Amino acid sequence: MTDQTLPNPAVPADDAVTRETFVERYRKPLLGALAVLLFFIAWQAVFLVVPFNALFISKPNLIFSGLAELVVSGELWADLAVSAVPFLYGFTAAVVVGVTIGIVMGWRVRVGYALDPLMTVFYASPLVALAPLLIVFFGVGVSGKAIIIFLLSIFPFIFNAYAGVRAVDRLLINVVRSLGGKEKDLYLKVIVPSVLPYIVAGARIAVGRGLIGVLVGEFFAASEGIGYAIAKFGDLFALDKMFACILSVMIIAVVLTEGIRWAERSAFPWRVGQ
Amino acid sequence: MPAYIQGRNVNLTFRPPNRGPVRALYGFDIDVNEGEFLSIVGPSGCGKSTFLNVLLGLIRPDSGDLRMHGKPIAGPGTDRAMVFQEFGLLPWRSVQHNIELGLELKGVPTETRHNVSQHFIEMVGLSGFEGHFPHELSGGMKQRVGLARALATDPDVLLMDEPFAALDAQTRDLMQVELLRIWQEARKTVLFVTHQIDEAIYLSDRVMVMTKRPGHAKKIFPIELPRPRDYEMRVTPEFNDLKLEIWHALKDEITI
Amino acid sequence: MSELQAVDANISTAAPADDLEAPPKSLWRQLEPTVLGVGSIVALLALWEALPYLVTFAPGTKLFFTTPSQIAGTLWTMFATGTIWAPLSVSASGFALGLGLAIVVGLPLGVLIGRSPTLNAMLDPFITAFNATPRLVFLPLVLLWFGLGLWSKVVIVFIGALFPLLINTYEGVRNSDKLLINVVRSFGAKEWDIARLVVVPNAMPYIVAGLRLAIGRAVLGVVVAEFFGSEDGLGVMMVQAAGQYKVAVVFAGLIVFAGLSLVMTGLVQLLEQRLTRWRPQHAAEY
Repeated sequence: MTDQTLPNPAVPADDAVTRETFVERYRKPLLGALAVLLFFIAWQAVFLVVPFNALFISKPNLIFSGLAELVVSGELWADLAVSAVPFLYGFTAAVVVGVTIGIVMGWRVRVGYALDPLMTVFYASPLVALAPLLIVFFGVGVSGKAIIIFLLSIFPFIFNAYAGVRAVDRLLINVVRSLGGKEKDLYLKVIVPSVLPYIVAGARIAVGRGLIGVLVGEFFAASEGIGYAIAKFGDLFALDKMFACILSVMIIAVVLTEGIRWAERSAFPWRVGQ
Repeated sequence: MPAYIQGRNVNLTFRPPNRGPVRALYGFDIDVNEGEFLSIVGPSGCGKSTFLNVLLGLIRPDSGDLRMHGKPIAGPGTDRAMVFQEFGLLPWRSVQHNIELGLELKGVPTETRHNVSQHFIEMVGLSGFEGHFPHELSGGMKQRVGLARALATDPDVLLMDEPFAALDAQTRDLMQVELLRIWQEARKTVLFVTHQIDEAIYLSDRVMVMTKRPGHAKKIFPIELPRPRDYEMRVTPEFNDLKLEIWHALKDEITI
Repeated sequence: MSELQAVDANISTAAPADDLEAPPKSLWRQLEPTVLGVGSIVALLALWEALPYLVTFAPGTKLFFTTPSQIAGTLWTMFATGTIWAPLSVSASGFALGLGLAIVVGLPLGVLIGRSPTLNAMLDPFITAFNATPRLVFLPLVLLWFGLGLWSKVVIVFIGALFPLLINTYEGVRNSDKLLINVVRSFGAKEWDIARLVVVPNAMPYIVAGLRLAIGRAVLGVVVAEFFGSEDGLGVMMVQAAGQYKVAVVFAGLIVFAGLSLVMTGLVQLLEQRLTRWRPQHAAEY
């Protein structure tokens, strides 16, 4: 038996690049939009069969006109503005205090040892359970709500900043040092870019918890604010307006969290896929 | 009489979105005899691993005719089994349960499964490691499990996709000796894909060199070295002559 | 003779084992994290206890002040007299039902959307929206629909715990090793076998992490649902106590809730250790 050389078939030129059609390319968002649309249509249509009880449920056309009414009269904006004030105070304080504590814990090993269990105990406790006490103590105004928001949203900042500092690659520090980097360069070129993505990711979690704080504070005792509006319209059986307010909160929550997610992706492209 | 495995004009083109299509196989012909050990060597990305996946039934070719026992390949089947380069062991299953995977999917009763896995555990030299999890094994031991798993379903054809590529050089040499011993014992038809000419010559009855992409057979070398083969055979002049010949056929296909 | 020499050689070349080991850590270095960690908690409690002796409070503030010893005393009385059991069982049943329901719904749904791109695309906007929104916003609506009592609480706990479970299961399923899927397919596995043999075991660590998050959310759900929409339970007890300035009772309730959360998390940890014996990081525990 000898070696067998085989004929070489002529290979035709490659076909054209397969371009995706518009539908193929945007399949996912299109399907999603379709599903949302179908959901609202089904919601509207189901009351053609099922008797409609305005005291128990609402339907999309009523919700949208309710929303329009709240927007035009300015009620919605007023309530949102009232809720935004304690949120901004509480959340800003949480960022400043939380990031500071987290960085110190990460930078000073002993502080980390000392505070880690304590913070874990706090984080694991349902601190929202202190809300009634805080409201009674600080009153129904801005300060009570701001403190609840602060307490709920500080821990993601502490833990993420702590994890971020510990995750700084010592090798990179040595690399920058070996290339003649000064202390300032270490911070600007290694530490801040390493820690910042953690803090922003913490912010995404903290936003949700902060919103819980707003709602808890306002459900308890308030005379204005978006949480109060939801509870009030519920008590009045004005379900169209209640749904409209719920929808507004959902939209705000989505815009905030997805906005931060978008910012993460565009500001820290190297972290995509981690 | 048609060959045991016969491929005629098998074509396969990958069409990733928004990129040019990639012809993986074009006009690919192959004939494999029953019981033979056939190695396929070729440059990286020439489609040799893709062909094994086609033969295994995981990928459907665009056109062409691929038969085994005269019957077209229509999907995975228990007459073929693959040994994967990256082992492909289920990390949450012990050695024994990994080996029994194929039998379990065939619906073989527990008792029989245990007997079969015990037999193959002994054959690949893993007695005493039945209860170990994959992460507790060395690379060589993992691939022994991969081999035992493939043999356990008693396939007619064993497909081996660069099975020793993830092992260090010494382990690889030992595994080659082991594979020959097991092959003598189990008598399967083997299709063995590799980058290494040495490995191909040492193990095979025939070595097929593939062209660069789109891949098809360029030249087939019968390896008429006597069996059983020992490790020392690799330093004989005959071995080196073959190695040089195959290298000459292969080197034109390699682009760096 | 040669044998003897070999033995000799063996002895002489055996390296003294002690030299190779790293010098043992000093006792202080080993204990430091624990001592500092426990120490800071003890110090904080001591400071809190001592505060009334160090500072004079305004009468209004004094009303809101309690000490760790008072809280511990209250807890002790609650357990000793058994007054805790009635509200605790009310809260615990809401917690258990809601969390159980979330597991039963969340896991299969997570696997489904992880394996079906179409279903994933269609449900994604809903999951994103509900996950971003604090579920508390639905509380007034849930109360309207289900009334005061157990079922409102179950629903709130359920919608709170569902999403972490659903999303983590989905992530775990999406991260299945393609090679392993091909391996089981090559042995003739159908979609059900792929899910059973590869996808679910692979997702298990993610599911357990999701379960941990879900426990936290479920406790939160119980607390807020009882604050606003219940007639009995621990949360109700706490709100009433806050109104009557029984601050120690509020903290006692907080501790019981935290304990519930810790016990559940501990159980999950046990489950995790049983389920993930195959993972490398547990190798040392055999």
